[in-house]
Amino acid sequence: MSVVLSPGSVEDAVAMLAEHAEAMPLAGGATLVAMRNAGLVEPTHLINLDCIAELRGIERDTTGGIRIGAMTRHCDTAACNDLTGSLLVLRRAAGMIANRVVRNMGTMGGSVANADPAADYLPALACCDAVLEVAGPEGRRKISIHDYVQGWYETALEQGEIITAITLPAPVAAPSAYRKIARVTGDYATASCAMALDPDGKGLRAAIGACGPGPLRDRDAEAVLRGRLDDPEAVLDFAACLAALADPLDDVRGSAEYRLRLIPRLITSVLSEIALQTEVA
Amino acid sequence: MSKKILHSLNLNGEEVEVATPAGATLLETMREDLRILSAKRGCNQGVCGACTVLIDGKPVRACLTLTARCEGHAVQTMEGMGGDRVMATLQRHMVESGGVQCGFCTSGILISARELLEEDPAPSRAAVKTALSGNICRCTGYRTIVDAVCSAAEELAQ
Repeated sequence: MSVVLSPGSVEDAVAMLAEHAEAMPLAGGATLVAMRNAGLVEPTHLINLDCIAELRGIERDTTGGIRIGAMTRHCDTAACNDLTGSLLVLRRAAGMIANRVVRNMGTMGGSVANADPAADYLPALACCDAVLEVAGPEGRRKISIHDYVQGWYETALEQGEIITAITLPAPVAAPSAYRKIARVTGDYATASCAMALDPDGKGLRAAIGACGPGPLRDRDAEAVLRGRLDDPEAVLDFAACLAALADPLDDVRGSAEYRLRLIPRLITSVLSEIALQTEVA
Repeated sequence: MSKKILHSLNLNGEEVEVATPAGATLLETMREDLRILSAKRGCNQGVCGACTVLIDGKPVRACLTLTARCEGHAVQTMEGMGGDRVMATLQRHMVESGGVQCGFCTSGILISARELLEEDPAPSRAAVKTALSGNICRCTGYRTIVDAVCSAAEELAQ
């Protein structure tokens, strides 16, 4: 059984994590409590992050950038009117996580910290060029989403560090979308795709999820594709670059080979979906 | 085996004091220490939905919620919803349509359905299925449950 501690500040939380060797930070509990119930983790202390005001809420800064507190629930992200245009992809991803009840519990910080390769936020955040704010025994620092996942469930977070916020550049008026292929509504992704069009409609940013330890994004290939979005061959070449970065697994949701086949289909179908949004707008 | 901790909870509108093991989930505390038995222990992983209860009016999984976190929040279970008109209507339609067989999933289904009708008083069948996608039933095949929610919504709209 775990002792539950409820610090009132990030500094206190970090100190408690440092003090107790077998302590774990507890965000929404949707994954960690389930793992504890299954006997997969046995923390002596759970550091409950729910009483820290700094970790709550979604705010805009003076330049229009958006800061999402790490303890923000999926239901609040899915309903956030500030996530428009190029950031709509994140709102859509939040709304596709699991089911309504779990969305009332799970948090963005918790999901990102867990770094499940098949979860929905990481590809959306990679598409948005998000930056993570973290705090730990050595103080505070920022980590680009592109440097964050380092292996299967391995992240750039150091021992004793917690995520405090996810920051996003100011949204621009350009369509974006999130699509996931899943066995049933609410399952983790077999493969997923987050995509945003450039404001001039000539290029795109795209990230593929569930086809490797972290989201797949190829900014060089995006530069090559720019100006050629209406050339189906160029789009397929772009998808092939992402597939070349993939390291998919065979698992209960699909084979590695099936996942590789999904990548070009996701890229072309999401691109036509957001191209349609442009015509409507 | 383990040390018990005293917590004060607001459960179904009443303040209760309960001694429960350190780090216990709300589901464990309710079933083992308070004998609140409407919330069932199915998967204990947050997947099956049988332990769904309301905290501050929002449905959550009791098996994934620590009791220590519930202090200062209002917990509601089926036991406290006897006077709720929407719930009573849903219950009656569940019985009439055959949406209840073994009953293990029923209280979780009803809490999810009530939440849906609060947000969308006239849901489509597809919306009902989506809203109940986090509640597993191994008896009915779901059709009679969806029937019950749709017919309850129709009756409530009159």
